[in-house]
Amino acid sequence: MPQLRDSGNSGPGSSIQQSAQFEGFARIFGVETEYGVSVTGAKKPVDAGQVAMTMFRPIVSRARSTNTYLTNGSRLYLDVGSHPEYATAEARSPLDALAQDLAGERIMIRLAHQAQEQLRTAGYGDALRVHVFKNNADSAGHSFGCHENYLVRRFVSLEQVEHELLPFLITRQLYTGAGRVTESGFEITQRADYLDEAVSSATTRSRPMVNTRDEPHADPEEFRRLHVIIGDSNRSQWATWMKLAVTHLVLCVIEEAARLGVPSGFEAFNLADPGEANRAVSRDLTCQHTQLQLADTGNAAATMSALDIQRGYFTLVERFFHDHRDAMLAAMPSHHADSPWDHGVEQALSEWRRVLDVLEAGHVTDLADRVDWIAKWRLFNALRARKGELSHARLEQLDMDYHDIANGTLYDSLLRRNAILQLVDDEAATQALHEPPSNTRAVLRGHFVQAALDAGAQFSCDWTRLTLTVPQHREAVILDPFNATPNADYDRLLQALQ
Amino acid sequence: MPQEFAQSSSTQHTQQEQTEETAVHTTTAANVDDDVLDAVLDDIESTLETNAEEYVSSFVQKGGE
Repeated sequence: MPQLRDSGNSGPGSSIQQSAQFEGFARIFGVETEYGVSVTGAKKPVDAGQVAMTMFRPIVSRARSTNTYLTNGSRLYLDVGSHPEYATAEARSPLDALAQDLAGERIMIRLAHQAQEQLRTAGYGDALRVHVFKNNADSAGHSFGCHENYLVRRFVSLEQVEHELLPFLITRQLYTGAGRVTESGFEITQRADYLDEAVSSATTRSRPMVNTRDEPHADPEEFRRLHVIIGDSNRSQWATWMKLAVTHLVLCVIEEAARLGVPSGFEAFNLADPGEANRAVSRDLTCQHTQLQLADTGNAAATMSALDIQRGYFTLVERFFHDHRDAMLAAMPSHHADSPWDHGVEQALSEWRRVLDVLEAGHVTDLADRVDWIAKWRLFNALRARKGELSHARLEQLDMDYHDIANGTLYDSLLRRNAILQLVDDEAATQALHEPPSNTRAVLRGHFVQAALDAGAQFSCDWTRLTLTVPQHREAVILDPFNATPNADYDRLLQALQ
Repeated sequence: MPQEFAQSSSTQHTQQEQTEETAVHTTTAANVDDDVLDAVLDDIESTLETNAEEYVSSFVQKGGE
């Protein structure tokens, strides 16, 4: 059980050279998004694999590989099964992570449109369209993911993650779910039907909700990387921002409790059967009728609704913020003071409170400008009112169209008509194509990639290492994700490129 | 008494005005929403004319994660 080798840690560890950010509540956020690919309207047979390879042709000619790092510090690659994948650079705030994720969408759109042009010219016909889906399921029931990464202090145990974080992750789907048309009706999430184990090290054979693979991409003595698999891929910018911001707040409480060796209060929400609860939450569009069975922890109320569990988390987090305000605000830097979304802590609390108030009042559609599943559901209902009953295939098509970033119409129309919130404008998203977050090591990686490309050098990267192979061999290790300052090795690396 | 009456009448008047205002506001908001939704439905009209079965069945992916 190598995946559990660190699970015995509880209580603060002792590290000789402690990272400056080990104390406090600073966080590194990252989002990995797998995209689905399909093609319609072709005159002669062509499959998704060919389309994906055509999309990645410009990448292969630049990097001699389908796996590369970009000048904004992010990673772009072609995953098993012809899934284009984009992993954002390390970000210190939900807004920065969102901007990086939107940059990833733009890269995919550009690659898709280029591939579409090439295939049309290559005799597949002018009606050919390439579709790139930012969703989590295809028509045959294959599921793929959007994984959130949170750097968490090592003294948080996997038991805490399972018992104190998982109930939050399962019930937050009320406002982060992307919605899906299934054989048995409309559901809140894309993923609930495909996830089984609660916490595990595997992802492809069995699908856990939180992955514990021990690859912190940071000092393993101090940090672990929490790899959250349960979430949906969101089109709504608000939903991507919100899931990162609120999960961060919950993690702050869990970390402080682990640091002090006291209960977080969240253990009261430990669920008897997380997989079953996840599916039940996904199917209850009222958000409050279904009662979830709690684990036997001596709690008098043996069941709670998803909404009550969220309210419970919110109340404890709000109280915690009251007591730790300064430290929590200091831990999340803000640099666009005019945008409320840059204040990841206070804005998240206020949005969270509003969402729960609205859901408790039963006014679900009031959240259609924020929550993906509600935006979709309202649109389907309006369409039924205009056209009468729609076929299952038509509903499935519209569901998929909402996630089609290359040729979809639904989401683009909602955005253009201000029917869904835009937190990052076009200018900022375009900027994030070339600019890494300035306050993490991503800025070192991004500048290195830019310098190496400018010099025509051969290079490779991973999250903690930058390697130059031609014209000379040089390497720099960038282990601390919070550190944006060049070290001596990094300086030598860049000198070799001048 | 006349004073009290005047006061209560004015309070009543204000309440009535507020109710009217709220009602108007709500109606306007709902109308705006409906207009936006109508516009979105108009935007996606061409999508409704394409072959849904082909679109859906062409998306079969393997592997991942």
